[in-house]
Amino acid sequence: MLLFREGSREAFEELFSRHHRAVVRFAWRMTGDPSAAEEAAQEIFLRIARAAPAYLPTAKFSTWMYTVARRTTLNYLRDTKENGEKVPILQEGEGEDGVYPVQLPGPDDRNPEQVVWEAQLTERFRAALAELPEGHRAAFVLNRGDGLSYEEVAQVLGVTVQAVKTRIFRAREMLLSRLSKDLSA
Amino acid sequence: MDCRDIRESISACVDGEASPGEAASVREHLASCERCRVLERQMRAVGAGVRQVRGSVPDRFREEVFARLESEGALPKRKKVVPTAWRWVAVPLAAAAGLGLFLLTSREVVRGPAPPGSAVARVGTSAPHVPSPQGNGSALSSEDREMLAMLDLLEDPVAFDTNDDAVGVDLLAPGDSADSPDPPRGGRSGA
Repeated sequence: MLLFREGSREAFEELFSRHHRAVVRFAWRMTGDPSAAEEAAQEIFLRIARAAPAYLPTAKFSTWMYTVARRTTLNYLRDTKENGEKVPILQEGEGEDGVYPVQLPGPDDRNPEQVVWEAQLTERFRAALAELPEGHRAAFVLNRGDGLSYEEVAQVLGVTVQAVKTRIFRAREMLLSRLSKDLSA
Repeated sequence: MDCRDIRESISACVDGEASPGEAASVREHLASCERCRVLERQMRAVGAGVRQVRGSVPDRFREEVFARLESEGALPKRKKVVPTAWRWVAVPLAAAAGLGLFLLTSREVVRGPAPPGSAVARVGTSAPHVPSPQGNGSALSSEDREMLAMLDLLEDPVAFDTNDDAVGVDLLAPGDSADSPDPPRGGRSGA
């Protein structure tokens, strides 16, 4: 990024090659729509390029990139009428006992993180993810999808680590609740 | 610890973000709570779910991003090392320069002091630099035969005139000879 700031086109090409897949994936997970994701991802790279003259390496580049990406997708979602303050999916009394009637991949004898998800379940998951409040979705996607630590997610979102921990936990509860409702219907 | 109070810690444990004390409490609780063990597995599964939502990079994504950046002037233009017009001139120029250099150096070698004993060796060492399109030169041209005759002459120390370097000129730079056009290069390798 520093080389690009100094005018190297090749530096930006390298930066693009390294990160464009992650940016598109992030935008896809945040918007839940392919065309919206493409548009948002293009906007993310435009903003990265525009911000280059003022870029200071005070944090990891990826953390800075995701900060730009999250703000861009947030603005994009707001522009498309999402206010980021969706009503929590978890209804009163639902999931109170901490057990959800949802059959997710992962029988007891297999690692639930390594099994193959069926396409139908993945689609339901994508829809449920799109229903999360933006702040919860961003925290969950950055941590579980992009591998950022709670500390890095906190930097990207501008909140405390404890807030990240709570958002991710709440995101999990909401997703389990939503998926169990869909699958039991 | 109550199940409701420990769920957030279970989530942090699943993410590998719980403190050592918190992780110990979770382990202790899970050992005695079947319901939370089920929840812990569901939490792992739902965490894996987000990685299933991958999307794909559109075909023309790169071109479109770079086109937008260039139209905004946010991306430096690609540097052209050699202007297009020069590319067509550079190759013939380089070839001509190489040919000229070859001819010059060939003459220098022949026109230097040439003791009688080294003349054959000089011819012998210069020959491998010339490619032979016909391999071993089984079909000899008239120029080949002429050159071989001259080599026979060189091998005879009595007949060899050390003061006549024109022999060498004719042999190694036959193009300079008024009565002989450039012989096929394969003839030299045959020597």
